[in-house]
Amino acid sequence: MIEVKDLIFSYGKDKQALHGIDFTVGKGEIFGFLGPNGSGKSTTQKILTGILKGHNGHVSLFGKDITNSYNKEFFKNIGVLFEYPYLYANLSGLDNLNYFASFYPKEQRQDIEVLLDRLAFKKDYIKKPVSSYSKGMRQRVSMARALMTSPKLLFLDEPTSGLDPAGAVLFRNIIEEERKKGTTVFLTTHNMLDADLLCDRVAFIVNGNIAVIDTPKNLKIQNSNQKIVIDYMLNGKRENKIIEASELKQGILFPHDEIISIHSQEPSLEDVFIQYTGRGLS
Amino acid sequence: MEYSFLSLLKKDFKMMLSSKFLLLIIGSLVLYSLYINLVYIKTDQAIYPVYLFDPAESIENASSQIIRVDNMEELQLRTSDGYAVGIDATGAEPKIIMVASGLDSSDQIRTAYALSLLSPGQSTPAEVIGQNSKEMKSRREITSEFLFFELAAVGFLGLASTLFKEKHMGVIRIHGVMPISKSLFIFSKLILFLLADLVFAFLLTVINLGLATGLSVLPAILVQTVILSIIMALVGFFCAVWLPDFRQFSLLYLVLAIFITTPVFLVGQTSITWNWINYHPMYHLFMAIKNAYFEMPIGETVYYIVCVVFIVALFLVAHKTLTREMAKEG
Repeated sequence: MIEVKDLIFSYGKDKQALHGIDFTVGKGEIFGFLGPNGSGKSTTQKILTGILKGHNGHVSLFGKDITNSYNKEFFKNIGVLFEYPYLYANLSGLDNLNYFASFYPKEQRQDIEVLLDRLAFKKDYIKKPVSSYSKGMRQRVSMARALMTSPKLLFLDEPTSGLDPAGAVLFRNIIEEERKKGTTVFLTTHNMLDADLLCDRVAFIVNGNIAVIDTPKNLKIQNSNQKIVIDYMLNGKRENKIIEASELKQGILFPHDEIISIHSQEPSLEDVFIQYTGRGLS
Repeated sequence: MEYSFLSLLKKDFKMMLSSKFLLLIIGSLVLYSLYINLVYIKTDQAIYPVYLFDPAESIENASSQIIRVDNMEELQLRTSDGYAVGIDATGAEPKIIMVASGLDSSDQIRTAYALSLLSPGQSTPAEVIGQNSKEMKSRREITSEFLFFELAAVGFLGLASTLFKEKHMGVIRIHGVMPISKSLFIFSKLILFLLADLVFAFLLTVINLGLATGLSVLPAILVQTVILSIIMALVGFFCAVWLPDFRQFSLLYLVLAIFITTPVFLVGQTSITWNWINYHPMYHLFMAIKNAYFEMPIGETVYYIVCVVFIVALFLVAHKTLTREMAKEG
């Protein structure tokens, strides 16, 4: 679906944002693009969505080199959720969606009210101006805008931003459902939980270079210290012990009365990110 | 595509309504018309009153516009305002008594006028050219000024304020990832503001020149309105997209309104002559509107060619600026 080879981009002469990055995203894959601010995430997404022109290297989407394929057909096949919920504040959510939908063929559009219902949007607000919406409601309308034309390729930038935990779970479920329909998702985020739970593969980008690409699971396994922490009770006293994972094969040999918990010392995705890039995400 | 364009027009019309731009132009129309009809055409200053002290009544054929006074004290009192002119006919030659205006040329005109009233039949009557009464001349003159100001300043501000709203809401960027042409995005705004300006020009002209006169000059006025409206809308579009916030835009607007429009008005409406004004593009646009109101020939082919080239260049610049804005960070 997406193929990027040796992508280079500069803002002016002295400000190179991308230093020759390579990656591919398969059809129906959720691909996470993670990096701190200023790492080149947005630049890459803007190039892929046709907003930014003048790159070097090879970029193809839907099997076509993008240099000459940014036309109406291309834009009909993508859906973009921006980092901020950009909407006409003086119009209602429904009017916003009807307006944006009017640029797409009728047969491509989903029923907007059904879609908003799926996104748990409060029905009372559907005809009220966006200026009266909370951030979570605006995010729901923006997500509806990205999904309403049944795109083959979805670009999502911080999709769960501004949502409460229940809303974040709902959005993750919806993204998962879209993938099941065959939609490819290019997810740009700071949120490691989203990336961990949703992405088939993630790429860590820092200073315009991709540090590593792999599945979240592999990254965590590869960077695990293979230690196990065991909490136990002995003579009425709570104790803990760290052992090598391989030792567990032989059973728990040290003296104990009761095992309370066994935790692997698997790193979080953020720990792995810091390990690869030397930088935190925020 | 047609349906998309209608959606853009509908959305822009809603933006126009929410920005209160229509209210502003209706308010301007009412205000300008009230000023023209209730104030401007009635404010023509009377010609210098001329007082004559002629105790011997030696001047027999004096004009009926001369006001006779009984003594020198009264003559001096009446002429003490710096405007009236007095004639002391006590000697062999009439003497002019007046308070100097401070402008030598003006004082000479006052003197010549006062002396001409002593023997009114001797001056050669001026040939009357054209059919404008003083009132109609005033109406045409002030209406052309108001239309120019409205198109150059208010229309420019209207489009820019609407666009700043869209920019502030971030929605311009969304259009960059949708199957919609950037040119259509610009066209829909141009067409809407052009229509508003055409309706304004029509009403302003008909209300203040009367239906018959108004309709006779309207075709030429509407042509000039189209040219100036499109140019100013494109300049407003470019400035609103290019400048980061409304504060900077306000400063630019002030510069445009004061330092660009003022010299045009001064040269176009007064006796001030500056040769450099011929290089001022707004001067030619203003004179074209003024000439349209006075049913005078407007510009040559080169004027229209330059206008079209300028509009195309402005459109390309606006298009490029819009593309850059769409690529900006949120």
